[in-house]
Amino acid sequence: MQITGMLTGARLLRYVGFPTAEVLGPEASTDEIKALIDRCGEIFIKPLFRGGVGKKGKSGLIGRARDIQTALQEKERLYFVEHRHGNAWAKAEGVTFEGAVPAEHEVYFAITDSTKFRAPTVTITHHGGMDIEELSRDQIAEIPFDPLTGLKAFIIANALTDLGAPDEIISPLVQNLPKLWDLFHNYGMTTLELNPIRMMADASGRLTPVACDFKCGFDQDDPNWKRLGLPAHLFASDTSDFEQEVNQLRTYQGQSDVFVINDKGTILAPTFGGGANALVTELLGDDAIISSDFGGNPPFAKMKDIARICFKYYLAQSNVLFIIGGKANNTDIYETFRAMADALRDYFNNRGPTPLYVVVGRGGPNLIRGMGVMRDTLDALGLPYRFFGHDSAMSEVVNYAQGINRWMKEGGRKRLAAHLGIGG
Amino acid sequence: MHPKGVGDFRYYVGIRSLAELATREDRVCVLNILGSESRSVTPTSHEYSGGNIVFGTGPGRAGQVLKTKLGNIPVYNNVRDGLADGHAFSTGVVYLPPSGVRDGVAELIRVNPLLKKVIILTEKVSVRDARLIRALGQLSGIDIFGANCLGVADAWNEVRLGGALGGSAPAESLKKGSVAIFSNSGNFTTTIAVYLTTAGWGSTVSISSGKDVYIHFAAPEFAYALGNDDRSKAAVMYVEPGGYYERGLKLSKPTVACVVGRWKAKLSRSVGHAGAMAGSGDDAAAKERWFMEMFGVDAIYTPDNPVCSAKGAVVTNIAHIPVAMTAVMAQNGVGPDFPSQGSLSLKPWFANAQGIDLPAELEIPVVEAVAPYNEQIAAISQQVGAILPRQAMKDCSGASLMDPKTQVSRIHGLSVLDATQHSMESNLVMALIRESLDANGEKLANVALTAEVNLAGSPILVAADAARAAGNAPNSVLAAACSIVGPKRAEAARAAADRLVELFSHQGLEDPADETFDVAPMVANREAAAIFLGAERDLKAEQMVAAVAARGGQSVFLRYLQGLKGHPTSDAVLGAIATTLAWGPLMRKRISPFTVRNLPWFLRIYGTLIGAAVAGEQHTARSFCGVAMEELLASWSLAEVAYLALMGERPSAAQMFSFSVLLGLIITNGPGTISAQGAKGGVAADGPETPERVQVNKAMTGFLTHTGYAHGGNGFEAIAFLLERFKDAGVTDPGDPHHGLDLPAMAGEYVEEYKRYKAQQKAIGNLGYGKIPCVNHPIFKGKPVNYDPREVFVADLFKKRGDYNLFHDYYHALVQALFDKEVSREVYCVNVDAVIAVLLLKILWKPYREGRFSSATLETAAFTTFLFGRMIGCAAEVDDHTNRGKNMDTRTPASACSFVG
Repeated sequence: MQITGMLTGARLLRYVGFPTAEVLGPEASTDEIKALIDRCGEIFIKPLFRGGVGKKGKSGLIGRARDIQTALQEKERLYFVEHRHGNAWAKAEGVTFEGAVPAEHEVYFAITDSTKFRAPTVTITHHGGMDIEELSRDQIAEIPFDPLTGLKAFIIANALTDLGAPDEIISPLVQNLPKLWDLFHNYGMTTLELNPIRMMADASGRLTPVACDFKCGFDQDDPNWKRLGLPAHLFASDTSDFEQEVNQLRTYQGQSDVFVINDKGTILAPTFGGGANALVTELLGDDAIISSDFGGNPPFAKMKDIARICFKYYLAQSNVLFIIGGKANNTDIYETFRAMADALRDYFNNRGPTPLYVVVGRGGPNLIRGMGVMRDTLDALGLPYRFFGHDSAMSEVVNYAQGINRWMKEGGRKRLAAHLGIGG
Repeated sequence: MHPKGVGDFRYYVGIRSLAELATREDRVCVLNILGSESRSVTPTSHEYSGGNIVFGTGPGRAGQVLKTKLGNIPVYNNVRDGLADGHAFSTGVVYLPPSGVRDGVAELIRVNPLLKKVIILTEKVSVRDARLIRALGQLSGIDIFGANCLGVADAWNEVRLGGALGGSAPAESLKKGSVAIFSNSGNFTTTIAVYLTTAGWGSTVSISSGKDVYIHFAAPEFAYALGNDDRSKAAVMYVEPGGYYERGLKLSKPTVACVVGRWKAKLSRSVGHAGAMAGSGDDAAAKERWFMEMFGVDAIYTPDNPVCSAKGAVVTNIAHIPVAMTAVMAQNGVGPDFPSQGSLSLKPWFANAQGIDLPAELEIPVVEAVAPYNEQIAAISQQVGAILPRQAMKDCSGASLMDPKTQVSRIHGLSVLDATQHSMESNLVMALIRESLDANGEKLANVALTAEVNLAGSPILVAADAARAAGNAPNSVLAAACSIVGPKRAEAARAAADRLVELFSHQGLEDPADETFDVAPMVANREAAAIFLGAERDLKAEQMVAAVAARGGQSVFLRYLQGLKGHPTSDAVLGAIATTLAWGPLMRKRISPFTVRNLPWFLRIYGTLIGAAVAGEQHTARSFCGVAMEELLASWSLAEVAYLALMGERPSAAQMFSFSVLLGLIITNGPGTISAQGAKGGVAADGPETPERVQVNKAMTGFLTHTGYAHGGNGFEAIAFLLERFKDAGVTDPGDPHHGLDLPAMAGEYVEEYKRYKAQQKAIGNLGYGKIPCVNHPIFKGKPVNYDPREVFVADLFKKRGDYNLFHDYYHALVQALFDKEVSREVYCVNVDAVIAVLLLKILWKPYREGRFSSATLETAAFTTFLFGRMIGCAAEVDDHTNRGKNMDTRTPASACSFVG
């Protein structure tokens, strides 16, 4: 849930009256682009990526133009450009045209919740316009502040004074930066970063801070961001159909965050508990299809829905259905296992049998009743299984599931298919 | 800005020692104590901790209590009222939903000056609220735990505060020892405690810290309080990526740190919380490094490479924690707290390879589980059939479900479209046993059901005829009959089914049609067999047994009855057939023993309803509708008998096919339909928590009384419409595609007429003008050309058979004409109700044309067909509700009702 770039950023900044560079979207006409060049003298052409992708500048993905021909050439170059940064990959869906803001000073500003200070914290430097990581620590001020009173002007003033910022930029920043707290705190953000803010001089030489790039992250658990009325497609970056469908079930009752690890994987592992999720995903590696945490005592109907969606997308390719978690504190094993067993039976009823080995590692309330239901269902469906209690090391159970997966790949799946009277 | 706490923290911390975390002196108030999670967790916490919860809150729930073994915990509307009533507490536990957490914490802090600790269990609290909660706690000097945590527990004090650490039996996992546990994962807090016992390590405190962005009682506070707790000799810390809480930690006691989550760095996009955006240096690799530097080690500890120092070890697998702890403590000259308990080796508790050989290393034999699980496993092995949890079943069903997108309903996972391909007898029994019948099952079901249709000499028939004569609609006629099939009329057959289950359930019988299964040991138990036998020969019983034999049906239970010395009663035979049908699902725990017990009753009601649809004069001692009972029993399917009851003749193959499709489509439309509601209300009113008191026949009467001219009888509307359209068309065989009629022209003419009528009615302001039945659908609309997928399915079925239906064809011409003549803006779909009408009319056309059936008879036949189909779905609801429901659970609270004056 992130937004980068000025197209949406400028719109959000306008809510709190923070000055922004002029920006046009991909639909801008030649006349509009030309008028922007006439007004600003120079424009930047930036590819439009959904979600958050950093380091565009360094990758040569920012075009500059002083005339319409160059602007259109850059538009053509960048309109569908592909960009890789770290493990993230993105394809542009258009470009923005942003008016250049002539300035002597560039400022970096961010608000985030710092785990070091355990408070909302501003990060500020007047050496902006570059990666914050490249600056030395004494060039940056990190100042926590009290969320009950908010980001106050004196916090900015003190920070800039301590950094030795030029006097002429302090007053305009002190007047404008506190506005960003409103945007950050009241619209469900977890991070807000403006870099650079360029200090534009008016005719009298007085400076105004102008936001020239924008990044923010939203808190999925905070409904306040919905008040911004942002179109849903902004957040539909690269989630798969499966992730979208299953994450719709996200409610406060029980976790349900799910990620696809390898859509060609062969172990489908509904995992219970954040710890188990971390451990199991790590040990399964590319064998895992999804990484999930279904703990938090999900009610029967929700668990069945989650299982139904997981099975719909991935059961056919799975060699192993691996239900794994530690010794649950509060998750009712009977309810969750009954839900998964029911979903499995429905799957077989609707789509016919599929060769599958079921490995379970679990502990918690109503464990034996839950295992009993699962056992009866698997016996009825003719599927082989092995269930371990919480006194078998979870990592060993993972190894066992991987052993079964290898055996399935090496002919076990075919034999099981024949046993079920179907093709492998 | 904040009060002075302990240590030299830059913020307030109140806990000096881990020994102060959870003590026997702490008194607790639980917010939202009657919420679903608290309701299951709080009593255990209270009992484990010696009764430390003084009260709870629930707005509007003042005066209620939470029951525990140590007595009731009172509930107040708010904290203020609880305090005013004389209660005092130091710890607030928050079980509120996320949006209420911030205000709940504010309430605790503002109202209670004695407050010291707040524990927030709730997940998915927004970061915005978390930062405000942090500030509130700091301002007032309160220690906060969570959110998204399971609280804290102390094995020495036997106290747990907040959530469910240690699960439903905390003493089982939290053994007194010398290791303090701090974990970002709630589940792993308990799991680590359990794992440690395998190396002989017990715990002092267990802290589930939560792993939201804000962790209020985090690693630095833990490290500080660890140093001041004399009981804790060592610590385990389980940490996940995100946040700088562990950087530069000052640990004064040996610690095993488990850092998991390196994979998260490989994801193509951010996951979780802190540092997600900048990709900053708080990932798992960084955290491993922090701890390795703290401990002065250069590698991760594994059993193969046991790298550790006296200060500690870093592991990435929680299974390595116990051995790492032992190794680290050995360097400190300290041995475990107690002898090791169990091991972490692989110990399967359940396994079945289903006859497929596995390689030796994967073929790990099942071992007996540790107590008390071994006893529980033994107990469930003895249990026969399923036990379903009870819940309020108003508008809920465990039997049927309508997919709101496709409008296709399912019953026990079988879509009504697929049900059209199963026989009526199979569907009738499937409604109760949750599986379709195999060929043998169908043979037996046909005999049992057909044996019940003949009501000659029975008061049931008298009642039905009287109801018919009084001008009642078919549903009321059948209801009159159904009312008489009361518990006493089913008692003997139900008892027989019960006894058979009792006798055979632990004898290893898997296939109830197994010809080789030895029934001799059961036959020998003469005392048990007495209830199956009558003093004299029972003709009906003999006819049934002979019919089963004639059909080649197999049943271990019938063979058992025949083996007894004496005369098995027809009730015993019915019970034996029912038990045969239900045996597989019962053994597979798909159904409860109570369903098997009621199955003979349902079978009797099914047969009775079919029989009662036919006037009294058609029932004689030896025949039904003019066909000898021996013949019906030996060679007719129930569907054929039902057809005979409606149409007075045995159906052709094509007619049978249409009839089956019809019945299948009608089975159910989910629990919300009026008929299902009637059935469910009948069960709820009897009180399913005492299932024996539920009168199945009364519940089925509830279904019947909840059908009528608008629900069930309305199929006739479309038939009447078609009769009007085709009255002068001279059609003799609606199955003949060469009918010579110009359907588009006929439809066009009618649409013109309808258009004029509609304009006229609108002109006089009558918006309730007559609509054309069975076209258009609220879901399947909005496209240029629309289809009801159910209609498409059926049309395809008949097309594949080469089966033509003139009326169906006309309907398609009609929707096209409506569009062509601009009455509709799109080509409407022909909906599924039209399909039902056209199928039925095709069947009825001949007798109607020949004058054998009047228009009124057509209407009765259409309505009764609906009842025959729908009784399948409603029986499923009755049985499901009986097994799952609660007393009077279909009532609507008065607050949800309104008066319209």
